Amino acid sequence: MKNLILYMFFGFSVASISQTKDNKEYKRRVLDNVEIDVLSSFYSQKGKNSAVNGGIGTEELTDIAGSIDILIPMNADDILSIGFTVSAYTSASSSNLNPFKHSTSSTSNTSGASTSTSAETKTVIGTPWLASSGASGQDTWLSCNVSYSHWSDDRNEIYTASFSISDEYDYTSIGFNTGFTKLFNQKNTEIGINLGLFLDKVTPIYPTEIETYRRTEGSLNSSFFANVDILNSEGLETDKNSNTTWVATQYNEITNTNRNTYSVSLSLSQILSKNSQFSIFSDIIMQNGLLSSPMQRVYFEDKDDFYIGNPSNIPNYTNPSNVDVFHLADAVERLPDSRLKTPIGFRYNHYINEFLIFKTYYRYYFDDWGIVSNTLSIELPIKLNDKWTLYPSYRYYNQTKSDYFSAYNKNISTSLYYTSDYDLSEFNSSQYGLGLKYTDIFVEKHIFKALGLKNISLDYSMYKRNIDFNSYIISLGFKFIID
Amino acid sequence: MKNKIAFLTIAISMSSCVMVKEYEKININDPDMTLTKRKSLKFETSFHIYRESAMGANGGKTGGGCGCN
Repeated sequence: MKNLILYMFFGFSVASISQTKDNKEYKRRVLDNVEIDVLSSFYSQKGKNSAVNGGIGTEELTDIAGSIDILIPMNADDILSIGFTVSAYTSASSSNLNPFKHSTSSTSNTSGASTSTSAETKTVIGTPWLASSGASGQDTWLSCNVSYSHWSDDRNEIYTASFSISDEYDYTSIGFNTGFTKLFNQKNTEIGINLGLFLDKVTPIYPTEIETYRRTEGSLNSSFFANVDILNSEGLETDKNSNTTWVATQYNEITNTNRNTYSVSLSLSQILSKNSQFSIFSDIIMQNGLLSSPMQRVYFEDKDDFYIGNPSNIPNYTNPSNVDVFHLADAVERLPDSRLKTPIGFRYNHYINEFLIFKTYYRYYFDDWGIVSNTLSIELPIKLNDKWTLYPSYRYYNQTKSDYFSAYNKNISTSLYYTSDYDLSEFNSSQYGLGLKYTDIFVEKHIFKALGLKNISLDYSMYKRNIDFNSYIISLGFKFIID
Repeated sequence: MKNKIAFLTIAISMSSCVMVKEYEKININDPDMTLTKRKSLKFETSFHIYRESAMGANGGKTGGGCGCN
């Protein structure tokens, strides 16, 4: 499969170069000018089912992203596309890889007229409900994408090849894509095939208690655990040298840190009338390698619970008012090393009149982890005049839970696979969106003389699940044309 | 569900015998009639991929990147 994708990638690249020949006949250029798309966004989410904390705790996250995509006409038939993306996030959930901090308290004794202060006591506390100050709470994701497309002389065949690379602290990805599109029936029908290959590398990072346990080979009297009390579910200190205290019962010994994705995408588009068209497309996506995330804690229902922090807050653990006790993980997420995803999508667009367009999208999805999902979205572009367009939209999504998902403290230790990542749970969501676009088809406004402003877009979406999770995103985009 | 999708596809395909000429495609060629998501929603699609299990079949990226936070 990998060889086939690489063969097609290079084969199409050669084909596109060999077909680039001088053509003396007039033909319209595929792209007249260099186009530059600049896009920025701000994303914020809140939730109560943090995957890093085993399905409980704050999911607060903010992300600021920016991208620039440049389309360059190389000649009448070819386009080179170059894109850069930067995404910087802060995540309360990720910060809680190490949720622990020292808390110092002092007590004083008063006897008669004199007051004496006793020795300070140091305790370690933690909570899944607040962000920690750990370095893992923020990161930057960088990505670069280069794509080359070639159109045949009659514009009925399009060859595309692309290469992408992305990097963040614990994750690197290299991607190859190649595609072929054929138009026929006087360009009323279009079919396409796209092959993709992503070669990803994960750097495993474990929660503090698991990492320490692995490193010290189970010693609870050294490193992080030195002078730290481990409490049982009744809040009583346990003997760290006995078998009645906490042990990391299972954790992944990761030998393969690769995550490979292979995809085949097929599409069919058809013009139905002067005012309507549809497309149907399907991907077959095969992933293998490390598909679990070792930073995500798991708690077993059939194992005793152990804590670090304030014993009086243990009964209150799942309440956001808990600010000083943390449940020690039994294990980290374990998932199969392969996954087959099959989405089938359908779009139908209808041009109602010069003021209104009706756009719909439906997707049915299933995979071999037991998840079945439906996605339905509707967008109604409203043309207020020749420059301004309004984009109200609604999107509904649902999914069944993965075979391996259980809620916080509900997994079973004898299971082969387990997770409490609520992105793999059963839920449904609604999203309401509103966009506004200003378009200047004559590109009258210029920046630095040569940079013509083609359009400006502003989009806002609000997303809410039926479980405790909601988010919003604001995007601002500019499209420029170089004269 | 799969049968319904197949039936719908075939039904629409069979009804597509009207050949629309190039000069009749002014409405079809409207920028808002494209059969893809708007480019300005690129980051919105990213968060859907990160936060939901279903992905793909939207003409976009089908792999790569972590999104585990």
